[in-house]
Amino acid sequence: MYASRNISLCTKDCLCLFVCPTGATDTENGQIDREKCIDGCRKCVDACPSHAISLVFEEYPEPIPGDADLSGMMLGLLQKKSSLEAAASALAGEKTDPGAVKLAEALRRSFRIVGEDCAREAGFLLPQCDPVRKLKEVLDLTDIGE
Amino acid sequence: MEKVKTEKLSRNALSVLFSNLAKASEKQQKYELQESWSRLSENYRESTGDADFPDIREELVRSLAEDYPEIRKKAQSLSDRGVLRALVWGEKVTTIQKSLIDRYLSKGESLLEGKDIFICEACGFLYAGTETPALCPVCKAPSSRFSKIQVPAK
Ligand code: SF4
Ligand code: SF4
Repeated sequence: MYASRNISLCTKDCLCLFVCPTGATDTENGQIDREKCIDGCRKCVDACPSHAISLVFEEYPEPIPGDADLSGMMLGLLQKKSSLEAAASALAGEKTDPGAVKLAEALRRSFRIVGEDCAREAGFLLPQCDPVRKLKEVLDLTDIGE
Repeated sequence: MEKVKTEKLSRNALSVLFSNLAKASEKQQKYELQESWSRLSENYRESTGDADFPDIREELVRSLAEDYPEIRKKAQSLSDRGVLRALVWGEKVTTIQKSLIDRYLSKGESLLEGKDIFICEACGFLYAGTETPALCPVCKAPSSRFSKIQVPAK
């Protein structure tokens, strides 16, 4: 685990500079120096008054597999959301009225976000989990890492 | 509700699955991995069909009447709170998608004159208006999670 700063939340109070035992928080680019950060120390996380620093994990536990039938249903729902997305995308390309184009594009993006949630709940939560590993094998995508 | 096996997913369904993995990579600050999944998601992306707004609306009505209650029943029997949460959000967002189409079909172009559509990046909630909502009414994400819909260049 190492510390990571969300630069858009950082109010530059500099408490993280005072508490860091290694100087990892003191860099010119706003990012915490991962090489210097001590695994699991978290002093800066607790000190930051703006809640701008969090710990990033190197490893995540394998998600608990859900019921196979329910996962299949969520994949069915994903399939439907994705065809709606494809349809809205084609519609956005065909329409010429500005309101119609905007509505079709809004629907397209909304269908995708709902579809992504279905994929998560069907077990494809993280790049590093077994359902994704199996899918990569089936599709011959094993060059993609974790 | 038809149960779909992973091997039977359409290309665009895979595109959606991959863009979710890209987002999960970004949250872990694995930017190269994010890039790989995003690229793959774009390669699998599809834009197909000749559905117009009434056809999309009809499918949403069907899905609200059939898909959501059926999956909810199953999720309730298994007490799967994660899926139940996704169904609550999905059902609310689907209802809003449908009502936005209804309003467009009755009012036409005047519905969106001088207005933008804002989308909640967390749950897909849509809002037509002049200002970003302060809070997502569906998933309670803050206004910073909203984006303004930009119309693709023709
Ligand atoms: S303590 Fe927090 S707000 Fe202050 S400089 Fe560090 S990250 Fe920024
Ligand atoms: S976790 Fe500890 S070592 Fe790492 S940046 Fe924060 S204060 Fe420094």
